[in-house]
Amino acid sequence: MNATAKKTGAAALRREAWVRFRRNRLAMAGLFMAISVILAAAFAPVLAPYDPFKQLIWTQGGEVRLAPPSAAHIMGTDLYGRDIFSRILHGARISLQIGIFATIVSLLVGVPLGAAAGYYGGFTDDAISWLINVVFAFPFFLFIIAVVAVFQNPSMSVIYLAIGLVNWVGIARVTRAQFISLREREFVEAARALGLPDRRIIFGHILPNALAPVIVQATMGIGGIIMIEAGLAFLGFGAQPPTPSWGLMISDGQRYLGIGKWWWAVFPGLAITYTVLAFNFLGDGLRDALDARLKR
Amino acid sequence: MLSYTLRKLLYFIPVVWGVVTAVFILLTVVPGDPARLLMGQRGDPETLARIRADLGLDLPLHRQYIRFIGDLARGDLGTSYRNNEKVSTAIAERFGATLRLAFWAMILASVIGVAAGILSAVKQYSLFDYSAMFIAVAGVSAPVFWVGLLLLLIFAYGLRLLPGVGYGDGSWRYLILPVITLGTRPAALIARLTRSCMLDVMNQDYIRTARSKGLAERTVILKHAFKNALVPVNTIIGTQVAELLSGAVLTETIFAWPGVGRLAVEALVARDFPMIRGTVIFMALLFLATNLLVDLSYGLVDPRIRYD
Amino acid sequence: MKKSLRTLCRLLLLFALFSAMPSASGETLPLSGGVLRWRDVGDPPKLDPAGPGDTSSGRGIYLMFETLVENAPDGERLLPRLAESWEGSEGGRVWTFHLRKGVRFHSTIRGRPSANGGREALAADWKYSFERLVRTKSPRAYFVDMIQGYKDFAEEKASEWTGIKVVDEHTIRFELDYAFAPFVSILAYNAFVVVPREDAERPGADFSFNPVGTGPFILEKWEHDQRLVYTRNPDFWMRDAHGSSLPYLDGVEIVIIPDDTIAYEEFKKGNIDVLPELPDEFYADAKQRFGDLLQGRPMLGVYYVGFNCAKPPFKDNRTLRKALNYAVNKQAMSDYLLEGRYAPSRGVLPPGVPGYSPDLEGYEYSPETARKMLAEAGIREGFQIELVVNNNLRHRTVAEGLQGLLAEFGIDLRVSVVDWGVHLDLVDRGETQMYRMSWIADYADPDNFLYVLFYSENRGVKGNYSYYSNDRVDELLVAARVETDFDKRMALYREAERIIVDDAPWMFLFYYTTSLLGGERVKDMRLPLFGQHATPLEAVWIAR
Repeated sequence: MNATAKKTGAAALRREAWVRFRRNRLAMAGLFMAISVILAAAFAPVLAPYDPFKQLIWTQGGEVRLAPPSAAHIMGTDLYGRDIFSRILHGARISLQIGIFATIVSLLVGVPLGAAAGYYGGFTDDAISWLINVVFAFPFFLFIIAVVAVFQNPSMSVIYLAIGLVNWVGIARVTRAQFISLREREFVEAARALGLPDRRIIFGHILPNALAPVIVQATMGIGGIIMIEAGLAFLGFGAQPPTPSWGLMISDGQRYLGIGKWWWAVFPGLAITYTVLAFNFLGDGLRDALDARLKR
Repeated sequence: MLSYTLRKLLYFIPVVWGVVTAVFILLTVVPGDPARLLMGQRGDPETLARIRADLGLDLPLHRQYIRFIGDLARGDLGTSYRNNEKVSTAIAERFGATLRLAFWAMILASVIGVAAGILSAVKQYSLFDYSAMFIAVAGVSAPVFWVGLLLLLIFAYGLRLLPGVGYGDGSWRYLILPVITLGTRPAALIARLTRSCMLDVMNQDYIRTARSKGLAERTVILKHAFKNALVPVNTIIGTQVAELLSGAVLTETIFAWPGVGRLAVEALVARDFPMIRGTVIFMALLFLATNLLVDLSYGLVDPRIRYD
Repeated sequence: MKKSLRTLCRLLLLFALFSAMPSASGETLPLSGGVLRWRDVGDPPKLDPAGPGDTSSGRGIYLMFETLVENAPDGERLLPRLAESWEGSEGGRVWTFHLRKGVRFHSTIRGRPSANGGREALAADWKYSFERLVRTKSPRAYFVDMIQGYKDFAEEKASEWTGIKVVDEHTIRFELDYAFAPFVSILAYNAFVVVPREDAERPGADFSFNPVGTGPFILEKWEHDQRLVYTRNPDFWMRDAHGSSLPYLDGVEIVIIPDDTIAYEEFKKGNIDVLPELPDEFYADAKQRFGDLLQGRPMLGVYYVGFNCAKPPFKDNRTLRKALNYAVNKQAMSDYLLEGRYAPSRGVLPPGVPGYSPDLEGYEYSPETARKMLAEAGIREGFQIELVVNNNLRHRTVAEGLQGLLAEFGIDLRVSVVDWGVHLDLVDRGETQMYRMSWIADYADPDNFLYVLFYSENRGVKGNYSYYSNDRVDELLVAARVETDFDKRMALYREAERIIVDDAPWMFLFYYTTSLLGGERVKDMRLPLFGQHATPLEAVWIAR
């Protein structure tokens, strides 16, 4: 199989997948939703009507304290007189950053480990699988809290790291499964027969074919990561004030639910749901689209 | 069958050891001196030193580790720093609450999930199908604690139909909101999986054969299709149970539910090392044990697997 | 004959009516009976008085145990409790207490008979109780480390605490290492109570969960995370002015309701009689709805943000410290962030502590002065400082508010939320720039504030987290500890406070307040200065 034929074959498969993806309405919805979140995050400083950190109560007094949604503040204000809508827009940055960086950490750790386990088998597989099982058995939430607590003053990077260190397991498993099933295939045997070094086989031949489910797993994972971060912030172990983290906003706003001031806690939750929904639809769509490719 | 079981069990042990050691390492690195916390805000260095000695914190690390493993082997999870309660007692007292919550959440999730999944598969592409699947994805996408807060807002504080947070007098009314909150995600996952499995199965030849034989549609669905779709659905119910049991931390925190998850978070905040160790190990073991049981039950259900 | 009979009947009827009516002075006689339902947020971790104090445990301890002396409800004075009288000799180095007779330990605990059998509490028991504090490594034992022989006993070099002398069955004497005027007020702290040896050391019955004391109520049931049921102590020694035995109540039930909203609902419905520490959100509504039934008062505690005076930028930079004090609009902070609940403070000592100076000038909010002084100190736009707070909602709120406030002056305040253990660790080692802290008095004496918080030898874990050091202040504080003349003592403390405020080692923020909301039928319940958990319940009664 010469190089040109390989390339055209791959390109045709990709185009097929894309066509299938486009036909899936939910997947397209997910794509647009995700893009909207990315745009909101990217252009937050421009789109936000107010400075998300500016506390208006000190200059405007009690009127802007926990004010309900109005024309001036479409999602209302919080206890300090900050505009909630502006904070939600800036919060998108936090969530996406977490999603992306933690995913990168997960990939950097999970793919090599999973690949090694799947390709080499034997003791390497046993050892790595053991590690995966140990991490998986940990009540992950507590684990992340404990890791965050190790650093006395958790900065965002610490949180990315902590989440990544738990999340890599899913990716490692998928990678490993893929490598196990792919390593017996003809093209791999051919490559070995040619005397190619292991590393080239892994990275050059198997990995590109193994990527599809890994990408699906990673995409679905972004939603999960965003929720984990929100949960952490909610419990007080995540982003620090005055960061406009959505989870932190829900945490701050919950005590006012009892007296009917619902906007501080409800809108961030909607934002989280919207974002996670986007990535879930996207992930689902990717899976369905790439599925036929896998079946071949 | 026996060798399968044995192998599974054998594999269990090193994982348990790994978890236990990881817990120990993690806690030695976590800052915050429990002796200092016990002393309260006002303190003097001499009392502090004495408290530390009392707790065995001044021993070298490897000695602490050995002591720790030894205690564990005897089933002694230690004594809480905060109130001198035995950790095992504290967990035992709280486990009932967590079990109750997880059990009902699982029942709710399984019943609704499976029913919705079957119906969606049967009425594929209908309005029901789309709405159900949309709700399912939303259920997986909405943060658990936010859903809980919303339910509280609407049903407890707003409509005053249900009591607020806490275990109360133990009556079922206090159980409703936490169960719904906890069960939403598994219900959604089960629904989606059931639907896709049913769809896979329903397109198979033997189903068409059953239909052409003139069997009632309902029999076809329930007796033939569903039974075969059951295996993967069974898996996911199993893993969900494991996840739920190992601490519905967020749900328990929001609803002030006196379960093991909440105990663990409180212990973490208070740097109550023995309690943290105890609860984490307990939850991990529970998770592993449940998974093990699910694995073993596979061996029973599917003869093909036994000869793996 | 019939006429005079009718007149007699009429007179009798009138007499009956008059005696049933309240007397002219409007005083109603207390009724016996009833159970008072008191709400708490969580389960008390330990009910052993030797344990570290939190308010949930404190509530229980005040019900079951008694000290030698107690604080008057409005502070300022000490009243006899289990000691009928006391005197100091040798200039305040030796203190002798004469115990009340007929005080008995509880005869039951959690529904079973107690080990001591309901016997009288004697001087030997008091010695035992003090020694027990050291033996159980109570974090409070060292409050009284000035009693002779403490060190040897604590280090187990001696088998008894030699400075505590049992003179006879009802007299106990404390000999101190040096004359220490506040000694007696320390003994009002709820760790220094009398406990029976037989129950404290009873095998199989951990004293934390089976506490036995001499107080008005006995612990009968403990359903963890749900409720604690206390019943009336039938052998309680105290009687009211008419000679009836106290307490009036049949019992007290501590009901655990974690949800604030629900607790407030339950109170409104009448299912709960007492709501202590009403959450801020409901305060305005409660004030309107219940008026005087909502008692609130400043508590013996201060809420402040400290500057670390041992490190830059606050080291040797009084101008900056004072500038920040002028920059804070405390009233607005209290109004917007704390529902107006906390009173802005001007100095260290809160009202109610002897030595409190009502005319202390303090730092009135003045943005212009602040800006001027910031410029003087060379602070430019974007100046960064770090504030450490522990993970508590109220503190996070105050911290975020400060952030926004100081941002108006161009200061970039970075807030670091850590948990309590880490927080203590950081302030102990002086590793912060600004830190939030509270100080609740252990005993009503200015020594408990100024000495602990500002004496240079107490830098670090002993309480002087600002690492403040001023020779003149040190001099004053040391002299005040041994000064026996009350007025002279107070004068020394006043001067010390004045200097401290001028040096501004803190951002002086608020005095703590405590609140208590009682139902209409709860009578004669008064919120004391020391906090709601110390509210005495022996003379409280429930109207029908």
